[in-house]
Amino acid sequence: MKTLSLALVAMLAAAGPVAAQQITGAGATFPAPVYAKWGEAAKAAVGIELNYQAIGSGGGQNQIFNRTVDFGASDAPVDGAKLAEQKLLQFPAVMGAVVPIVNIPGVELNKLKLTGEILAEIYAGKITKWNDAKITAINAGLALPALAIAPVYRADGSGTTFVFTSYLSAANAEWKAGVGAAASVKWPAGNGAKGNDGIAATVKQVKGAIGYVENAYATQNKLISTQLKNKAGHFVEPTLAAFSSAAASGDWTKAQNYAVDLIDTAGATSWPIVSATFILLPKDPKDAARSAAVMKFFDWAYTNGGKIASDLEYIALPKPVQDAVRASWKSEIKG
Amino acid sequence: MSATTSEGEMAGPKRDPQVADMLSRRRQRSNWIVKALCILATTIGLAFLALILVTLFWLGFGGLQWTVFTEATKPPGSHGGLINAIVGSLIQTAIGTAVGTPIGIMVGVYLAEYSLGTRLGNAVRFVSDVLLSAPSILIGLFIYQVLVNPFDGFSGIAGGLALAVIVIPIVVRTTEDMLRLIPVALREAAVALGAPKWKSIVLVCLRAALDGIATGVLLAVARIAGETAPLLFTSLGNLNWSLSLAQPMSSLPVTIYQYAGSAFEDWVQLAWVGALLITLGVLALNIVARVLLRPRA
Repeated sequence: MKTLSLALVAMLAAAGPVAAQQITGAGATFPAPVYAKWGEAAKAAVGIELNYQAIGSGGGQNQIFNRTVDFGASDAPVDGAKLAEQKLLQFPAVMGAVVPIVNIPGVELNKLKLTGEILAEIYAGKITKWNDAKITAINAGLALPALAIAPVYRADGSGTTFVFTSYLSAANAEWKAGVGAAASVKWPAGNGAKGNDGIAATVKQVKGAIGYVENAYATQNKLISTQLKNKAGHFVEPTLAAFSSAAASGDWTKAQNYAVDLIDTAGATSWPIVSATFILLPKDPKDAARSAAVMKFFDWAYTNGGKIASDLEYIALPKPVQDAVRASWKSEIKG
Repeated sequence: MSATTSEGEMAGPKRDPQVADMLSRRRQRSNWIVKALCILATTIGLAFLALILVTLFWLGFGGLQWTVFTEATKPPGSHGGLINAIVGSLIQTAIGTAVGTPIGIMVGVYLAEYSLGTRLGNAVRFVSDVLLSAPSILIGLFIYQVLVNPFDGFSGIAGGLALAVIVIPIVVRTTEDMLRLIPVALREAAVALGAPKWKSIVLVCLRAALDGIATGVLLAVARIAGETAPLLFTSLGNLNWSLSLAQPMSSLPVTIYQYAGSAFEDWVQLAWVGALLITLGVLALNIVARVLLRPRA
């Protein structure tokens, strides 16, 4: 064990700032902005050049199965059997939130109140007008037009869809039984769009549209997000504080392969749709130096990347989880 | 008008001035309608072209700064540039041209000079023509399967080779067509002077066809400079400055693809600048090709 970590340190030293070590990762779009910022800062600090290509969670899983990249990234956790079969270690990198976005004339940022129940019924095609009694009942004082609702979903396999449908399944038993949670599902109603950007663009253009995007995409595109009712029964706005509160209440000790469940957690101020995003690293790397550089990069990001993450409204991992991941690196990745 | 022509002077069938007048007016009317439709169609076509160019120049020049050529791509909000994408595009296009051109010329020479009427020649020509119209994404997937997946992953060299596969059929076709245009008398003259066949091909035919072949190569370069699909699965893209052919490599089309659809204003701006650079580059190549093709006085 000790020799192993010594070897690791030696390798890390070899890949020090003198010769910048390149590492290539590919996958989820959700964390791409924060990985890019971390990469920029880490290049100066520890001499590792990260090349992260946001090709989507499904693509990231495939590329690391094929070993064409140094690490893969996915919002949707890979199940234990698949991880064992592909000899991969899965660990979380950062946490973030998914927010509903709407385009209703007269409705301003974070004014509309929605619940998981209502979202599920909208996406099931059961609630079809914005002035439906179920919506107006919790939105007293908000003038909602008799406008048809146009639900927009991700047409491509998406970690965001996995997170969002997990929430709908948690909130609505009928959704859970009929449609379920997956990276791509058979949507009962609505139209598809590709990528977070596709949903953002469609919702921006179509009156009456509703969609779901990762929080950064909503704020960057100045889209109208909504409030959501959390498990404690309070309506919360999508803020970093609400995301952090949800992240803090996650129970990491029970999570297999760190696949923690942060959907609809208890906590009076928690945002209900929060998720971790994961890194997939081979346990039998072809190139040990590059694998070591990947671990060194995330070790640096855990220690120093919290500020960058929260500036972009992502949530850094709790310290005990970071330490557990560091221990996993030592015990599970062959040097 | 027709009233001035008296019936007696005209030979041939009798003309009824009223009918002639009516026919003439009908013809002129239909002529006018067709002409108007043609002008309308041309205007619509040109209007779209003009709109595309104006939008491109407006948005592209708007974001054109020195940092585009001095900085590598950076995270949103960090004032990045495109130099790694520009250089990556140049390197991969150069590899594609350097690998594809000799192969293409040799195959073209074989088709034009050695394979007349042979079954192999026809098969090669058919395959080359199929390759010419194959969707470029397939070529990307092909290189992914034979180079990227089994070996060390995404790399600049894989991107260059994918582009070479696109270059080959274009050069094959122009080389063959240009050699076919060389008059037989020229070949006979070379043979009459005692030149062996290879010498008459290299020193006479290829030299005479050089302008045409060079044009074909330039058009092939213009084509691959704007290709995105074959690079997506081969050189992947690189956020950092890197000249290593064994590492993933950035390129302008892939960067545009990633940036144009992003949620960040400075990235979208850079995508327009990149599109402008490619357009200007391809435009320049096309002009050079046209000048080369012009018959020399």
